[in-house]
Formats: sequence, structure tokens, C-alpha cells
Amino acid sequence: MSDLVTGIRAQVRDLLARRRVEYVVGYETGSDGVNARPFFAYTTEEADRLVFDNTCTHNLTKYLVEPERRGSTIGVVVKPCDARSLTVLLAEHKFPRDVVAIGVVCPGIVQRTREGGDGEAPQARCQVCDQHTPPACDILVGEATAEGPVLDQFARLAPLEAQSAAERSAFWSQQFERCLRCYACRQTCPQCYCDECFAEALDPEWVGVRIGRAENWLFHAIRCFHLAGRCIGCDECERVCPVKIPLGLLNRKLRKEVLDRFEYRAGTRSDERPPLETFRKEEKLDLA
Amino acid sequence: MTAQRITRQGLLDWLNGVAAKATLIAPVRVEGIYLFRPIVKIEDIALDYSQSTVPPKEWLFPRSDTLFTIERLDRAYELKPPAAAGPRVLFGIRPCDARALAILDRLFLAEPADNLYEERRQNTVLVGLACARQQLPECFCTSLGGGPQEAANVDVLLAGAGEAYTVTVATEKGQQLLSGATLRDGGEMPPAPSLSNQVPTAGMAERLRLAFNSSYWQRLADRCLGCKMCTYLCPTCHCFDIRDCDVGGHAERVRCWDGCQSALFTKLAGGHNPRASKAARLRQFYAHKYLYFPERFGVTQCVGCGRCAHFCPVNIDIRETLRDLQTLEVCPHGSGETARRREPVGAAFGDSRASA
Repeated sequence: MSDLVTGIRAQVRDLLARRRVEYVVGYETGSDGVNARPFFAYTTEEADRLVFDNTCTHNLTKYLVEPERRGSTIGVVVKPCDARSLTVLLAEHKFPRDVVAIGVVCPGIVQRTREGGDGEAPQARCQVCDQHTPPACDILVGEATAEGPVLDQFARLAPLEAQSAAERSAFWSQQFERCLRCYACRQTCPQCYCDECFAEALDPEWVGVRIGRAENWLFHAIRCFHLAGRCIGCDECERVCPVKIPLGLLNRKLRKEVLDRFEYRAGTRSDERPPLETFRKEEKLDLA
Repeated sequence: MTAQRITRQGLLDWLNGVAAKATLIAPVRVEGIYLFRPIVKIEDIALDYSQSTVPPKEWLFPRSDTLFTIERLDRAYELKPPAAAGPRVLFGIRPCDARALAILDRLFLAEPADNLYEERRQNTVLVGLACARQQLPECFCTSLGGGPQEAANVDVLLAGAGEAYTVTVATEKGQQLLSGATLRDGGEMPPAPSLSNQVPTAGMAERLRLAFNSSYWQRLADRCLGCKMCTYLCPTCHCFDIRDCDVGGHAERVRCWDGCQSALFTKLAGGHNPRASKAARLRQFYAHKYLYFPERFGVTQCVGCGRCAHFCPVNIDIRETLRDLQTLEVCPHGSGETARRREPVGAAFGDSRASA
């Protein structure tokens, strides 16, 4: 058993024994015996089911914003990227500070294909990650590590950015044609928490009920704009998509725009207001 | 039922002929996954595909279906039916997905029959492709009476891989479709692949009745994200929403897929929601398949294709749920201690995760 697992279990047992939290959201081993899945520990005995390894891909802060959990005091295991989600949620006053964040030093998460022929290659988000120690957590498990050099996080955008608008339009049109609007991308995203999503609003009906290219396009376009300056880049939307739409590309592009214009990376600092909720007179957007 | 042989080249030649007379729909590889799509070039067909991500039900019960269009005339309205479906050949369908269509038939073809589904069904010939191996790690068709070489729900079944296929003609429709094919006598069924999953499904309706008020559902729903992926990728799920759409100049009444895992699915005018929790919605997914549908139509509404378990972002695994339900300690009316006991999911079948 790794030191991380021992550390997490000890911290969770303590939180539950002291009744500091009602339950803790962490990871356990899934039904295939290999990959982790989310697990809710309610008792000190259940704390011993918790695990942590390089398959813990889920961003568990999603569970904190579920309407059914309002009013509960919850502990949550967070990787560094998940901790950034939590920072965004707290800045947006999504809940009072009654969450206990158990930050874990992250080894990087591996990419597994659903066909089972896994490589042990790190996920795209982990190849560009420069933050392996979670910021601003209540409890830290693991030794803080020095950050090594990383790949350019926007390199993946270059081929698309080099294309003409018409070519890009054709590319996305082809991608969105496959979308089933199962909404797994939205449901797995911690930053998507509206009680009523614009895509399902009936009055006014922004997005038609038809599951077709035009409606799908509208859904994804508006969703990615809603995430501008808020998406922390966990890429879970792309991982869960059953028809493999590269949603990470859209969100990455908007992260790049926000970084260029406002020098802002979502979730990295808790004392900074999100750029799209503030306005400074000196801001120049070069809008034509 | 007779068995014959066809070579790979003979098969491709025959399919070229089929595509000239009907819309040929078959599995193709798109961005690393398989989908059933109309075929333009025969070489695009993925003959050795594993399993399609989206089941072929979408060609009989499409994601969006125009029921009729409404044209405004001078002081009147005209309702126009959609264009009639032409002849189609659904090639390469897996035995589990074909079995799923037979299950959908019970619902859509029951009186009064759904005319759009009925028309497509009559105009579609099903050519099955037997499984030479287990296609998904999670599939369990034999636990539900199906099998990797089942020919009962298709018009023609092909078995084999590589250079030759064994052809089993199951219906008159299939016989006609094969009229142009170069067949040789003496086909022999290849050995059936062994499947790793045996899931206890017997008596599930009663188990679900007993577990209706169990806290088990709450624990399982804890990690459910509430997306509709399991229902949209299920070959037997068939719920829909109907709405009128303005499409510029005229209106259309459209039927679209919908799924019970969405919080909005049962939300009523006025705001009441009879299935207000994720737990109630998740229970509905299993109870519809293993209790309510069997009560009404006499068959289980699940074929064990394994897609829901395979694709679920948070590993809600139907094999695990069915096993848990077999051993779950339940109280029939949900009044007492069982409801207060919060056993973790998966514990019911004695796993050893706590000691890992």
C-alpha cells in the first residue's frame, strides 16, 4: 500500500471519527479491479476502502455542487487540478467554506483506452501540468515536489489555429454531428452547476430539442463560452464523451485567450477575482 | 435453416450489389470508435469490428424523428407525413443488438403499432455478424439467454472472420437478399467464443420488488453523475420526448431520445418531480429492464451487451448491481433497519477492496 493511500485513510478516519464531516468523497478500486472510481466513505471502516493511484482520473469536486448535497459538510479528496476547481467554486460563492479539502500530491494520471489495450502514457493534461502539489488545501497528503519542465499546454491547438475559419467550421461540424447530447460532458464538469441549464430551458427555448448538428453545435459553443476563464483544464469532459468529441480543444483555446488577455489562470489564486466578473478601466480588449 | 459458405471477396461483391438496390448501413471506424453509418464505399465497412459505441437501434428509432410537418395555408393548416423510408440493409449487426430489436418490436409493434418504426422495420433486412470473440470486457449475453452466434433475430447470420464466412439463412427475407450471392455448400459454424461473464439474472424481478426501498440505491446513486449515456447507448432503451419545432416557415413535430437519468425527465408542470432523487432515477433504470418491462411484455429488457457498464464515466456496472441485488439484505416495505444500514456498493459479493 502506498504512503499516499495510508495517509488518505488516516486523515479520513480522523475526520469521520471527529464528526468534522458527514462523509468523504474519495476513490476506491472499480469493478475491473484496476481502475479507480469515486467512493463515498461514511464510516471509519469504509475509510479503509479508499485508494489513490495513477488511475484516479475523476474530478470529485463535481459532487460538491449537486443540489442534493446542499447543507452537508463534506470532505473531498483533490488532486492539484481538482483543487483549482474548488478554488473557482469558492470564488463564485457556490457554497460557504464548509468543505474539507484533502489534497494529494499527484503522480500524474494515465491514459487508458476503453478497448483495454492501455498504455501507461500520461494523459494530455498531465503532460502539461506544472502543479503536482495541490494549492490551498486543508490537509496535504504526500511530500511536496519540485516541478520539472513541462510541454507547452497550447501546442495541441496549433494545427487548428493554422486552419482557415471555413476549415475549422468543417472540422467542428463533423465532430458535433456525432454528439448524442447525453450531457455527460456537462454532468462531469464541476464548473457546470446551473440549476437549469440553458440547453434544457423551455422558456425561452434557446436550444431546440432535436439531437442534430445545429442544436449540438449551439450547445457546445455556448457551454465553452460559459467556461471561459473558469475551466481549469481537467479534460474530464473529453474523457467521458462516448463518441470522442475533442472538447478539450475548445476549452483549451478559451483558456489561452483568457491567459493572453487577462494573464489569468482559473483556480490558481484564491485572492483574485475572475476576469469575466470584474472590470478594470485600464483593460483594453482591442475590440474593433 | 441451411448453412453455406461465402468467401471474403464473394461477400464484398455481394454487398456491392446490395448497395446498388438499397441503403446499406454497416459499422465503420470513426475517430477510433465504431458507428453504424450509410456506406458509400464497401471498403469502409469494418468487417472485423468489435462493437459499435452507439447501437444500431438508431436506424429504426432515430435520435430525432420528424413525425409530421405543419404547413400554414390560407385559413388552414396542412399536416404532411415524413418521406417514406426506402429499403435498407443493416449489415453486421451483433446478435445482442438484433435481440434488442426483437425486444423493441414488442413495444413499438404492439397495437396500436408505431407507424414510423413499423415502416422502417418492414423495409429493413438484418444481416447479423456473429461474435468471434468477446467484444467488450463487460458483455454477458449468455446470462440472458442470448449467445454470440444467435441467429434467431436476424434474416441472415454470418459467422467467421478472415477469408471465409459461414452463412446461415434464417428467414425468407434473408433468402431473397442472398439471391445474387456466390454461395458454396458445406459451411460449418466456427466454435463459439467463451465469455468471461456469468451474471445471475434469475428471479431479478422479485429481488427488485424487495429492494424497492433499500438504501442500496442511495449508495449507488452517490457516484452517479446523472448523464444519459447509459440510456442512449443502451440498445433497448426507448424513451422519448415530443415537441414542436419552428424550422423557419413551417413547424415540425419531433420525437427525440430522452432518458430516465435526467432530472428533467419526470418533472411535471408545476415543478413536482415523482423521481426527484438520483437514487430513484437509477432504480428506475434497473427496474424498468428487469421488473416493469418483463411484467408487461414477458421478456427482460436487457440483452447484456455491456455498453452501460463499459462507457459509464464513474463505473456504475450493471453486472455488479445485479450480483448485489441477489445477495442484498432487504426488507419488503423499507421501514426498518435495512434502510438505516448503509452498506457500500459492491460489498455484497465479498470483494476484498478494503484490504487492497
